[in-house]
Amino acid sequence: MTFEIDIGERTRIVSIEGVGATGPDGGQFRATIDGEAHDVSVRPTDLGLSLVFADGRSIDVAATETASGEWFVQLPHVDLTAVVDRRRRDRSRPGIASAAGVQRITAPMPGRVVRVLVKVGDVVQVRQALVVIEAMKMENELASPKAGTVKEVPASEGQSVEAGRLLVVVE
Amino acid sequence: MPKVLIANRGEIAVRVIRACRELGLGTVAIYSECDRGALHVRLADEAWPIGPSPAAESYLGIDKIVAVARRSGAALVHPGYGFLAENAAFARACRDAGVTFVGPRPEAIARMGSKTAARQAAIAAGVPVVPGTESPLPDDAPETVLAAEATRIGFPLVVKAVAGGGGKGMRTVEGPADLIAAVRIARSEAKAAFGDAAVYLERRLVAPRHIEIQLLGDEHGTVVPFVERECSIQRRHQKVVEESPSLAIGQETRRAMAECAEKVAASVGYTNAGTIEFLVDRDERFYFLEMNTRLQVEHPVTEMVTGVDLVVWQLRIALGERLTVARTQALTPRAHAIECRVYAEDPDRGFMPSPGLVRAIAVPGGPGVRDDRGVTAGFEVPVFYDSMISKLVVWGETRAEAVRRLARALDEYRVLGVRTTLPFFRWLVEQPEFREGRFDTTYLDRVLVERRGRPFRAPTPADESHASVAVALAAWLRAHRAAAGARTDETSVWRRTARREALQ
Repeated sequence: MTFEIDIGERTRIVSIEGVGATGPDGGQFRATIDGEAHDVSVRPTDLGLSLVFADGRSIDVAATETASGEWFVQLPHVDLTAVVDRRRRDRSRPGIASAAGVQRITAPMPGRVVRVLVKVGDVVQVRQALVVIEAMKMENELASPKAGTVKEVPASEGQSVEAGRLLVVVE
Repeated sequence: MPKVLIANRGEIAVRVIRACRELGLGTVAIYSECDRGALHVRLADEAWPIGPSPAAESYLGIDKIVAVARRSGAALVHPGYGFLAENAAFARACRDAGVTFVGPRPEAIARMGSKTAARQAAIAAGVPVVPGTESPLPDDAPETVLAAEATRIGFPLVVKAVAGGGGKGMRTVEGPADLIAAVRIARSEAKAAFGDAAVYLERRLVAPRHIEIQLLGDEHGTVVPFVERECSIQRRHQKVVEESPSLAIGQETRRAMAECAEKVAASVGYTNAGTIEFLVDRDERFYFLEMNTRLQVEHPVTEMVTGVDLVVWQLRIALGERLTVARTQALTPRAHAIECRVYAEDPDRGFMPSPGLVRAIAVPGGPGVRDDRGVTAGFEVPVFYDSMISKLVVWGETRAEAVRRLARALDEYRVLGVRTTLPFFRWLVEQPEFREGRFDTTYLDRVLVERRGRPFRAPTPADESHASVAVALAAWLRAHRAAAGARTDETSVWRRTARREALQ
């Protein structure tokens, strides 16, 4: 099986091929990243996967798919976010505006909208605060990721929102 | 066997339950709706619901909690920290209901809870205080009076809420031009957070350390001060890392601070556990800041370096026992302890809360590691309260050994499902300022601003390629697990059919 994996700015093509007896409980695999092959022994754990590479390197890694479809990967010293087969996913979900220009600001956590600082038509600067959400007794400002014009403001003051709820659209 | 009602949740409720168990005391937990599956409920002998998830409707409900104490037959109530721990009305309500409040008397809570009254108590006991206004500034104090007071105290200064805590209702003023606006903002914050708009002014020391003295006092007039805790690593006035002892003070200053703390406590007839916070300048001059009339979050570092169980002593004192902790033991640190407060917050997004389901958790162990935790795998960190997951505490023969052990323990620690402050701590322990103990209360905010939101640990290309392999393998295994699941279902359907046919 071949996967397209985006981490940071880079896309890597990774193909996974079983070597001998493999199954849901792991086994011996050949992982090829951008044409370079690595032999790796794989065993599922309580957290994720234990990987042992042919050169002896052992990596205990946790990989969880989040609600937004991203993978959250925890290596022993560092956490990363990965997206698997983004192009395929985006084609199958044409409504998502990850395209250039439109930015959808969503609630990063469940909470309550305490202040809405913009209205439709406002011109905003990059990092300008748009909405203030209160969660866990803390007020958190959500800022615009880009300079542009406010297109939609579905958020209203006093409203309770779940994580992922659309609050403001900036174009 | 007397029962203790624990009027709290999370790690501190678990901590108190453990102390009760060791003393052979019964344990009564309370829980809000979202905490039904929480660890403190599972560990306690009894657990009683006290209402909906918002704290105002559950853990802050004095009448509800006192009613549960009565119904369950609890003889004592331990308030933990936060919630009602420094609420004199709660302590009074317990006393009126014939239940022993594990803490100081309501009068002492009320007196030391007011920052200006506490300052006056310190001044009366002959303890140095930071120069400032002796009494709260009235709501209608004219601007000329404010300006005159400010000039007398000197700039830079801090406007503080009389009822304050946790950095709320607090504003720094660099010069006369900002004074009036800062007072106005501090008042409105204080009004919103504490229901009391009273503020006062205090000189801001340049690059001070925050160092505090733990105390225990019994009902028989004995007060014992402990070795200091260093709590200067703060983010927006919230402690993030605490350790004991402090590298910044010598034996003479330690003794002098302990003596002063003891004098303040004794002068107000203080009982049970409490902490006196000081600011310490570069010349080891110290100034009384405030008193916390409860157990502190960071009490474990004191326990680790003295071997004294503070929560067990809180309970024994409340039961009327005499305090028999030797003063030399309390004041002589055995080696070094450091605590990190691990929160469900995303350090790479401005420490934004990251509540949600904890899918799995791997806790560090081995020599010199203690983890006080109220969260388990399968538990949802609620949005309603403080998002603390755990307090990771390490002990080492020297500070250098403790720092190395902390780095090791942080690497072992994994929490799945929510973002945590662990990556931030892994970064912090590598910083030369932290390693060498060169920091004051302004250190962390300053370096965080300088970092401008850069990730605390940027992945290397090797990390990225390992992560790519891991994600591809996880996706492969998931696809094959799904296929295997489908086959198993087919098999069982076939078997059921075969069995049915055999029976006919």
